[in-house]
Amino acid sequence: MFLVGSFFLFAAFLITTCIFVIFSKNPVNSVLFLVLAFLNSTFLFILIGAEFVGIILAIVYIGAVAILFLFVVMMLDIQITTLMFNIKRYIPLALLFAGIILAEIIYLTVFKTSKDNLDTFIRSKNNTEQIGDVLYTEYFIDFQLSGIVLLLAMIGAIVLTHVYRPTIKRQNIESQNSTTAQDRVKLVKIKSGEGIKDD
Amino acid sequence: MTSLSFELTIGILKIFSFVVPVLVSVALLVYLERKVLGAVQLRKGPNVVGPFGILQSFADVLKLLTKENLLPSSSNKFLFIFAPMLTLILSLIAWAVIPISSTYVIANINIGILYLFAVSSFGVYGVIIAGWASNSKYPFLGALRSAAQMISYEVSIGFVIITVLICVGSLNLIDIVESQKSMWFAIPLLPMFVIFIISALAETNRLPFDLPEDEATLVAGFFTEYSSISFGLFFLAEYANMILMSSLTVILFLGGWYPPIDIFPLNAIPGIFWFVIKVFLILFVFLWVRATFPRYRYDQLMRLGWKIFLPFTLIWVVITSAFLFYFGLLPN
Repeated sequence: MFLVGSFFLFAAFLITTCIFVIFSKNPVNSVLFLVLAFLNSTFLFILIGAEFVGIILAIVYIGAVAILFLFVVMMLDIQITTLMFNIKRYIPLALLFAGIILAEIIYLTVFKTSKDNLDTFIRSKNNTEQIGDVLYTEYFIDFQLSGIVLLLAMIGAIVLTHVYRPTIKRQNIESQNSTTAQDRVKLVKIKSGEGIKDD
Repeated sequence: MTSLSFELTIGILKIFSFVVPVLVSVALLVYLERKVLGAVQLRKGPNVVGPFGILQSFADVLKLLTKENLLPSSSNKFLFIFAPMLTLILSLIAWAVIPISSTYVIANINIGILYLFAVSSFGVYGVIIAGWASNSKYPFLGALRSAAQMISYEVSIGFVIITVLICVGSLNLIDIVESQKSMWFAIPLLPMFVIFIISALAETNRLPFDLPEDEATLVAGFFTEYSSISFGLFFLAEYANMILMSSLTVILFLGGWYPPIDIFPLNAIPGIFWFVIKVFLILFVFLWVRATFPRYRYDQLMRLGWKIFLPFTLIWVVITSAFLFYFGLLPN
């Protein structure tokens, strides 16, 4: 009873925050609602007993991805009217993705597994250990491949955005650190009446 | 029904038994900081309010409470008020999983260390929301600096935690402490211990990494626009976070509630005493570093995080796991 009640509570919160992500006028508020949505999905994962997945979702998406979103969105100077105009352009694409995800959910829930199976599988053992058991053995190739895909995406992003500007001044940390007092200051003994010879 | 309300009461009392000592130790920590800084700089420090000035922080809190809370007219009002509350809440909810003895903990969960890591990574939201909602130059720059800084140092903190977890074989905080009964992890993992303390300084925005609130360039950084109690909440949260990171260091590296050597007169003393004394030692290191080192430049800070700590910790994870694997020391 308690579990079912909290499921509907968090699910309702999740859907509400998702709606606010789309319809709030200020993009910063959208990102903050997105954070709330991630948080609620974390709670949902914890409710089905998958606490490892839930907390990793929180660390990765709330602790890193959403912060970077916020970081970028805060620095944009967006006119709200143009934003609302632009939103209509993306509706077909959004509907396409929504359709794909809906089809996946229907496929998984109706045709693929029965729910009891999943439940006993999850509760049979500490789920951190379970993931550890299969991740590097059964799913080794998939794991490495997804790592390579992420690495490629990262390198791609760096290559696309990094522009080397030869005109700006840079710090040379090694030369700064290896500098000693003798390189900068010279003690000169001056004979009185002669002054320093410029050499 | 009565048993439920009984359990609820016990739970609330347990929460208070953590939160109240933390808040009181914040006040004492502020006093300790001013005394330590005074001693390092050959001054007396606070010595007027109460015996040896020990009530100085309580007087400061009362002063803050009676001041007017100003809201900048161009700020985002809700987020402006919400940010300090969020920061303080996050620094207090982390105490739910901290075990101060082998039995005394609010929630003994399987993934305690991940929960702590998640909560400490949420801490950046308070800062970044405060900076943006103030709608002013210096707070915004402070927020941006802090976001980049905290994310950078979280990476190395993550790898340090992974090294410890490889040695323990569990994500439970009590298991982590109990596996250090014979030897504290600070001895075999000394480099990681040092890196963890330095990253903790950066994560809590303490000197020499307090660039988000660098008063020489940014007035007061992300809380420039805050006054009265909303400033007080940030202040409280910063020191509560310091205590939290110190307790985390003690749990991960200094054997939690275990005495230094497991012999009679030492192990007769209750574990909570050892825990508190170790936390205070780490806190003293925080203050000592503050009094000794000058502030880092921002590019030096980023270079230290990404070009030194990240490769070093990454290589150390590989070395540690290879060592444990080849000598058959891997847990389970």
